[in-house]
Amino acid sequence: MTGERKTILDVRDLQIVLPAGGDRAYALSDFSLTVGEGEIVCLVGESGSGKSLAANAVMRLLPEPHVRVSRGTIRLDGQDLLALPEADMRAIRGDRMAMIFQEPMTALNPQKSVGWQIDEVLKLHTRLSKAERKARTLEILGDVHIPDPASTYNAYPHQISGGQRQRVMIAMALVLKPQLIIADEPTTALDVTTQKQILKLIKDLQQAQGTGILFITHDFGVVAEIADRIAVLRLGEMVEQGPASQILLNPQHPYTQKLIAAVPALTPPPAKPVSNEPVVLEAKNLCKTFAARGGFLSGKRDPVMAVKDLSFQLRRGETLGVVGESGSGKTTVSRIVTRLLESDSGEVRIDGRDLLSASRSELRALRKDIQMVFQDPMASLNPRRRVVELIAQGPIVQGVARDAAHARARELLSLVELPPAAAERYPHEFSGGQRQRIGIARALAMEPRVIVADEPVSALDVSVQAQVLKLLADLRDRLHLSLLFVTHDLRVAAQLCDKVIVMSKGEIVEAGPTAAVFATPQHPYTRALLDSIPGRDWEPPVRDVA
Amino acid sequence: MTAPDTSSIASVSVPDMPLPPARGLVLWRRFRRNRAALLGLILFVVVVLMAALADVVTPGDPLRNAGPPLTAPLVLAANPLGTDQLGRDIMAGIFHGARISLVIGVVATLISIVIGIVIGAVAGYFGGKIDGALMRVTEAFQTIPSFILLLTLVAIFGSSIQNIVIAIGIVSWTAPARMVRAEFMSLRQREFVDAARNLGVSDLSIIFREILPNALPPVIVFASVVMATSILMESALAFLGLGDPNYASWGNMIGQGRAVLRTAWFCSVIPGVAILLTVLSFSLMGEGLNDALNPRQKK
Repeated sequence: MTGERKTILDVRDLQIVLPAGGDRAYALSDFSLTVGEGEIVCLVGESGSGKSLAANAVMRLLPEPHVRVSRGTIRLDGQDLLALPEADMRAIRGDRMAMIFQEPMTALNPQKSVGWQIDEVLKLHTRLSKAERKARTLEILGDVHIPDPASTYNAYPHQISGGQRQRVMIAMALVLKPQLIIADEPTTALDVTTQKQILKLIKDLQQAQGTGILFITHDFGVVAEIADRIAVLRLGEMVEQGPASQILLNPQHPYTQKLIAAVPALTPPPAKPVSNEPVVLEAKNLCKTFAARGGFLSGKRDPVMAVKDLSFQLRRGETLGVVGESGSGKTTVSRIVTRLLESDSGEVRIDGRDLLSASRSELRALRKDIQMVFQDPMASLNPRRRVVELIAQGPIVQGVARDAAHARARELLSLVELPPAAAERYPHEFSGGQRQRIGIARALAMEPRVIVADEPVSALDVSVQAQVLKLLADLRDRLHLSLLFVTHDLRVAAQLCDKVIVMSKGEIVEAGPTAAVFATPQHPYTRALLDSIPGRDWEPPVRDVA
Repeated sequence: MTAPDTSSIASVSVPDMPLPPARGLVLWRRFRRNRAALLGLILFVVVVLMAALADVVTPGDPLRNAGPPLTAPLVLAANPLGTDQLGRDIMAGIFHGARISLVIGVVATLISIVIGIVIGAVAGYFGGKIDGALMRVTEAFQTIPSFILLLTLVAIFGSSIQNIVIAIGIVSWTAPARMVRAEFMSLRQREFVDAARNLGVSDLSIIFREILPNALPPVIVFASVVMATSILMESALAFLGLGDPNYASWGNMIGQGRAVLRTAWFCSVIPGVAILLTVLSFSLMGEGLNDALNPRQKK
């Protein structure tokens, strides 16, 4: 970092009002932030902290008049943005400041080719001729390391991969060499290996062009990877702001300390001695192919092999992590062992009893022993049922009397640390973390031997994530459960799992005790995966947080 | 910077939640907030009262001769709304006709919604070949204009009031079926359906006890539209002279009044207004129900 930089973005005392009747009056209050030339400022906060609204306020894209700036100034290179008429603002957007969105699929127009969309930016803001525009577009596509710019120019968004789409978004943002780029969670929807490349790309291009970047994220790993300066936001209030090294290694505000403490450490706990407990869940040679349905006129497409010849064993009291990137087949595995999806071949044994060839009535009995905790705590609870009914439903189906099942459901609520009053409420009245606890209670109600957890914390904020993981680990130890834990997040896997299997394209590329796999990965894919964990070089300060 | 506050992170407990108010009460409060829906409800209550009190206010057969033919309204105390060309009291016709309209509205709607739910739910939940077969049947019904089909059915089976009600139900189930199917197709992807399967809940139970309650609100709202069109269909049949001649129905009255429209406008206009207000009441209530059944609305 070099001494004094020119300030590109200067936000002072910004206050944004929310419509009356919301959970708070202001989305943001007394929000001040500067971004200098060639500087990456990370705005960190959990969901609902107001970080995205801050970005939209700078772009003047707030859903006015319900949500509007009520006080403060926003200056871009000395020019007051809030005072500008809308027409001038349109000229600035895309030209002098640009935005990169979280979901590149929805941020690009699916009906237009990639080249057309970048060309449009140039057409709006420059007087270049058609040939010049095309040359510039191809050049910028090359700059963002798109493998074949000429063919990508004519491709439609759905024809290129997620990482490439995000590169196109970045190209669109950079094509006019803006002074400021606002990136709103630009890598959240991407796999870790892609995320690493995109972060590197953003950093390289920013250094080459001297752009100021306001980078919005919830992920401290990403922050550690990229930030020069960090601002931490909580419920619309800035709690701490400072240079990256200071905040990451020596956070002052208790909230920042808690957020950082909630980031799971990357070093797995020391391996437990080899377990001699009996095998509870065993999968042998599982295969699953998804037949791609050809359209009426488009002919047949190739079927997709989701899982290829997969075998594993899970012992009592053990946690087996299934890690991999999207499309690796890890979710398919979780659905096959719970028989929500029929396997093409292979067998799944629970305590020696075959699950895959079980008849309808046998299956109902077997389901008791293997329960699932789902990814999306909003979608996995029937919104029309009260919590007590949700939890008691399984036992009632299995033949337990209604009153007994309800009484047991109420006991389970305290086991997952929810108050008894929660029983009579509907799911939408709870926060994400609380809903996931309800999901766990529902699984426990069946007194299963195995719990299959499919990304149970990926929809939650870090601090909540830590609590839910701790609860799962506690319950596993107290109730002697076995856990099959599917996740894309290697940090989470490191903390919770005794053993991991690493999957790529439907196959296990590496398996073993977590500590060993993380310390000395054998397979190149595992190495690449571990290498891509954002902030892997950053060791969060260990402190006692009450 | 503000005072350190760690509560949002540290605590997971739900701060003592008061018990939620009863569901019915919540629905009523939401419904009440929509003024237009309240007006609809009032109109509906008036129609119900007219049907209930028909024998008290206008006793006797509404089809009998009750005064001089073609008396204008507000001329004779015995026939406040006037009489038609056969001397039948229009007020009696309106009160007794309310019964027919309500019976047709409610029963035909029930028939069409039940058929629609069953077909839509099965098609949407199972998908694949079952869906294909059921949807082809639905399309077969949809390609024939519903009123033509209704005319055909009534022409074949006769125009007794029961046949008319059943026929209206049979011609109007396709739209609810498609709606339920669409709801089921999106809902069956939701994880709570997998969760229920994982607990060992049977398909039938998942369809009717897990998914259906979630799919129902738009169907209930749509039912108000079906009710309105059912009443209109019956009126249209009666207008064409295919109504059940043994009952005083608003459609019958308009159909017969048509002959004297130039000289005695009130013979058709008064039952016409009655139909208008009844249909309006259903659609206004439908809108209110839409608000009331939306769980995202405030309590």
